[in-house]
Amino acid sequence: MSKKVLVVDDAIFMRNMIKDIFASGGFEVVGEAANGLEAVEKFKELRPDLTTMDIVMPFKSGIEATREIVKVDPRAVVVMCSALGQESLVMEAIEAGASDFIVKPFKSEDVLSVVRKVLGEA
Amino acid sequence: MELDLSKYLGLFVSESKDHLEALSRTLVDLERAQAGEVPELVDKMFRHAHSMKGMASTMQFDGIALLAHRAEDVIGVLRGRSGPIDAEVVDLLLSAADSLLGMVEASAGGGAPGAPSQPLVDSLAQAFAALKRGERVPAPEAPTAVDAPPPPAPAAPPASAGALRLAVEVEVAGACPVPSVRGYLVLKRLEALGTVLAASPGHDDLKAGRIPDRRLTATIETTQTPQAVEQALAQIADLAKVVARPAGEEPSPPVAAAKAEAPAEAQRTVRVRAELLDEFLDVVGELLLATARLRAVGRAIPEAQRRPHDDGVDRLHSVVKDLHLKVMAARMTPLTVLSDRLPRAARDLARRGGKQVDVSVSGAEIEIDRSLLEDIADPVLHVLRNAVDHGLETPAERIALGKSATGHVEVSARRERDRVVMEIADDGRGMDPERLRQAAVERGALSREQAAALSDAEALELACLPGVSTARAVTDVSGRGVGMDAVKRAVEAAGGSLQIESRRGQGTRIAMRLPLTVAVQPVLLVRVADEILALPVSKVHGAAEVELEKLERSGGAPLLGFGGTHLPVHDLATLIGLSPGRATGKRSVVVTEGGEGRVGLAVDQLLGQEEAVLKPLHRPLSLVPGLSAVTVLGSGRPVFVLDVPRLVAA
Repeated sequence: MSKKVLVVDDAIFMRNMIKDIFASGGFEVVGEAANGLEAVEKFKELRPDLTTMDIVMPFKSGIEATREIVKVDPRAVVVMCSALGQESLVMEAIEAGASDFIVKPFKSEDVLSVVRKVLGEA
Repeated sequence: MELDLSKYLGLFVSESKDHLEALSRTLVDLERAQAGEVPELVDKMFRHAHSMKGMASTMQFDGIALLAHRAEDVIGVLRGRSGPIDAEVVDLLLSAADSLLGMVEASAGGGAPGAPSQPLVDSLAQAFAALKRGERVPAPEAPTAVDAPPPPAPAAPPASAGALRLAVEVEVAGACPVPSVRGYLVLKRLEALGTVLAASPGHDDLKAGRIPDRRLTATIETTQTPQAVEQALAQIADLAKVVARPAGEEPSPPVAAAKAEAPAEAQRTVRVRAELLDEFLDVVGELLLATARLRAVGRAIPEAQRRPHDDGVDRLHSVVKDLHLKVMAARMTPLTVLSDRLPRAARDLARRGGKQVDVSVSGAEIEIDRSLLEDIADPVLHVLRNAVDHGLETPAERIALGKSATGHVEVSARRERDRVVMEIADDGRGMDPERLRQAAVERGALSREQAAALSDAEALELACLPGVSTARAVTDVSGRGVGMDAVKRAVEAAGGSLQIESRRGQGTRIAMRLPLTVAVQPVLLVRVADEILALPVSKVHGAAEVELEKLERSGGAPLLGFGGTHLPVHDLATLIGLSPGRATGKRSVVVTEGGEGRVGLAVDQLLGQEEAVLKPLHRPLSLVPGLSAVTVLGSGRPVFVLDVPRLVAA
């Protein structure tokens, strides 16, 4: 059974790109969210196997959302989508419970390799 | 892949020292802590010992790790207790901290720190066992032998039951754009798997983006197998290499055999050689002089064309001054460097003398120039020793006097404009002015009449006369023993002054008034015959132009009316051994501090004020009374800075 993915990013462009990457890798994107608030709601509702999380978003940051998601489910797998120069934010996210991270700009094989590893499939 | 541990040596040494010094400080704090504060302090000590152990085992300094482990064991048993901790235990742990510090320092040169003193290791093990059984720790029978035969290299301290100690080595793939974040993720994952005893780089370095060679090594204690740990780490992306194996198995050469040059890599703070700071200051001094010389040269240019030159020199001057300020700022060192040692020193002295002392320190965050800090370190320790050895009474005496059994020594520092006042006050027996008068007479320093004429406050100053303070009778009775004259000399050489206040039965307060910085001071240049001399502007109160023969006289010296009082006027030429200056006509008189109040100095001409880079005098010039330093003028001419109080007294 393909793994369920929740994609969180405030840019539609990014969400679409990430969705395409997951689709090409055989994952099922079950939902998307445009901010941290929405992300937590969607997570509770969908219980995905994996959540990709942008860091800087309106209403609630990806870090805060990650913290809440991990509180809801300590085994939740959250992969941060970061950009160069956000190193300290990523560390904060790791502190908050993120499992791994990818750095923009990313290639589809990078994304898939990271999530497969973190899901223990590689 | 072999890990070059020598690269981390510098950091290991400086961090270890921090931990050990903090451990010693906490131990001293522990003795006087309220019961409620004990658990927190013990926890703190535990963390320091624990960190020490972890770092040492990572560096494969097994001897240090073993000793730290034994100390940690003892501290571990103290955890959860709220009662007071016996002095014997504190003594033992302090010896362990000292011994560890010695070993860490021995490792700094790249050599192997060797094995710890076996008697000390045994004492710690015995203390551990005794405490576990709820018994008291016996006082050590004999001082721990230093020459104990070196035991065979001890194995790394055993891991706690069931847990395995693993050495983990991870290398981040070259493709990863943010290797330090990867490293951080690895560290977090390891923390989830067990207890991380040591990691290099650690959290702070990783957070600052540092992960030398993209590699991270850690020692963890875990119930997981090495394979399980490797598997867990394999879930992290972008790792080129993951190895976990039981610690101590890998055949690594000892650090001593590693590169002898052992480049100490300071990562957290930039450490600068202290001498470099001195060299900077010298160079800035030269720059200031060169600027002054340029300005002097410019005076030869016709006035109409001088403007661009002067503008350039002005700009240069302001840049050099800015540089000077920055160099001075880099040299500023907090007093904590000195004051942190005091509670421990006082405690040791007190234990030896069968006394109890509580030292409180305040204002230690104040910063002064590092060379001044070095200059006053010995004087401060001297004064502290006097306070504990001679000032404080024994607990029995104190109780009989209605005082608390524990004596108090208060070390405080405060800023007073451009000065720092450092005070050391005790609540001991105080000094006896009468005995000081007698001692001064016995030593031939004063006649009986002179001694009798002194006020009590003045009599206290006698403690600073050579030979008086060291007189045995005074040591025992007055409460001031060792070398107050040496203390006073050192403080004055640093540009400071010393003040003594004391009340019999109530205690003594020694105040050292010190400059904040050294080296560059404004001086007033004066001419006497063909000589140019400098007076520190900070001591100058004013100047006047008078006809000496028209002044009133007292005891042969003309008296200058100044600020509502009359000051004796000395002819500077006579004071420095030149033929007397003109006695008639207008003369310039500088009013300056002259030891016992202000004095006037008659000179031939006031040349103006300059910023002078003061250089200390060396023998034989330093022996000439009345000279305090030398400086070089813009013209290249050397000029002596006068020490007026000594000059007048000589």
